[in-house]
Amino acid sequence: MNLIVGVSDMKVTNDIEATLVTYSLGSCIGVAIYDPVARVGGLLHYMLPESSLDQEKARKNPYMFADTGIPALFKAAYKLGAKKQRMKVIVVGGSQVLDQKGFFNIGKRNDIAVRKMFHKNNVIIDYKDVGGTVNRTIKLAINTGDTCLKVSGKGEKKI
Amino acid sequence: MSNMNSIIKKINRLTPIPQVASKVMSIAEDPKSSMYDLSKVIIYDTAVTANLLKAVNSAYFGLPEKVDSVHQAIVYLGMSQVVDLVLLSASGENLQTAQEGYDLEAGELWKYSVSSALIARELAEKKGIKETHLIFTAALLKDIGKVILNQYVKDSFDKINALVTKQNFTFREAEKEVIGIDHAELGGMVAESWKFSPKMVEIIRHHHRPQESLISEFESAIVYMADTICMMMGIGVGSDGLAYRFHPEVVESLELTETEFQKMVAGFVEKIEQVESMINV
Repeated sequence: MNLIVGVSDMKVTNDIEATLVTYSLGSCIGVAIYDPVARVGGLLHYMLPESSLDQEKARKNPYMFADTGIPALFKAAYKLGAKKQRMKVIVVGGSQVLDQKGFFNIGKRNDIAVRKMFHKNNVIIDYKDVGGTVNRTIKLAINTGDTCLKVSGKGEKKI
Repeated sequence: MSNMNSIIKKINRLTPIPQVASKVMSIAEDPKSSMYDLSKVIIYDTAVTANLLKAVNSAYFGLPEKVDSVHQAIVYLGMSQVVDLVLLSASGENLQTAQEGYDLEAGELWKYSVSSALIARELAEKKGIKETHLIFTAALLKDIGKVILNQYVKDSFDKINALVTKQNFTFREAEKEVIGIDHAELGGMVAESWKFSPKMVEIIRHHHRPQESLISEFESAIVYMADTICMMMGIGVGSDGLAYRFHPEVVESLELTETEFQKMVAGFVEKIEQVESMINV
């Protein structure tokens, strides 16, 4: 059963029948985490780097921003028994329009936001496919932890 | 070029935009017209009326009661909003189908088109442009060329993709190089064959390069910006991905700050589900 994670959305589950999926990551970033022992997985699809843009929106939907969404993702997984040291972490997305520079480059700023946050909290990324101009879709099967990355026009691969 | 002849022939095979679309546009542009003029034109097209009422009753608008007449829809939403919804209801036929060459499933190009149109209208209102319907429609139909080019992109995808990934071509530039015409240029030709205004033709033709538009640079810039936002949000984005060029001078011409830009993105994200409910994706 596919559990769809929308734009600015997050889902965490220990249902072994479930596959978490988020479609069409442009400049957004998808963070997938999985603890193979507890068989708990989570997927976040955030759109913007910093909640300081609009605190009210961040309160209503923390998954819109990296700095509020990422902690919420990990906390929800811990609640279901996941442990940080066992966690497999995958980061994908963050594409950029060609020649995009400076402040409008949300893809790049989203990437910097997650890297900064993981560095501060000693989280190691196991697999990363970030940047470029492609559109990505990611799936995580809770039973096995198998993760698939689909790049539009280039097909799907297991990671 | 034989390719070109067969492409141009296909323009006539598209489902033409129903007449009601151009009629509501001229009503919208005439300050003397009333809501009765508007509803009279709409109700003659039963298919468009049905689609309009479906959209009006969707979660996107969250109206307190069910609307079952065009007149009531105008009372609730106002003439301007209803005009846009008629344009939307009249434009779906060609854009709702799957576009395999662009790796888009049925409904995805439509979602992309509607989203760009809504963002473009919001931006046009912010910038005080009066011709919001022109911008809304241009943004809605800007990728009509993809519907024809789809088959050719599919056949030459590897060549196009090689230019994009290895030689820093944009997807549009690669289409032009490999096929001889790109989807924006072709879209402009479709708009011409449908007898759209020269401004509309120009915006569609230049939606990836607004700075090259001679008669409607500002309007084209708005549609370009809305398109860029959709791409970044990944709404209905296919195999062309984000492989289009960012033009900082266009952003400057719109006097859009980074915070405004991000706020528009954040604001639209909240509406995506309702947009889906409106267009039944």
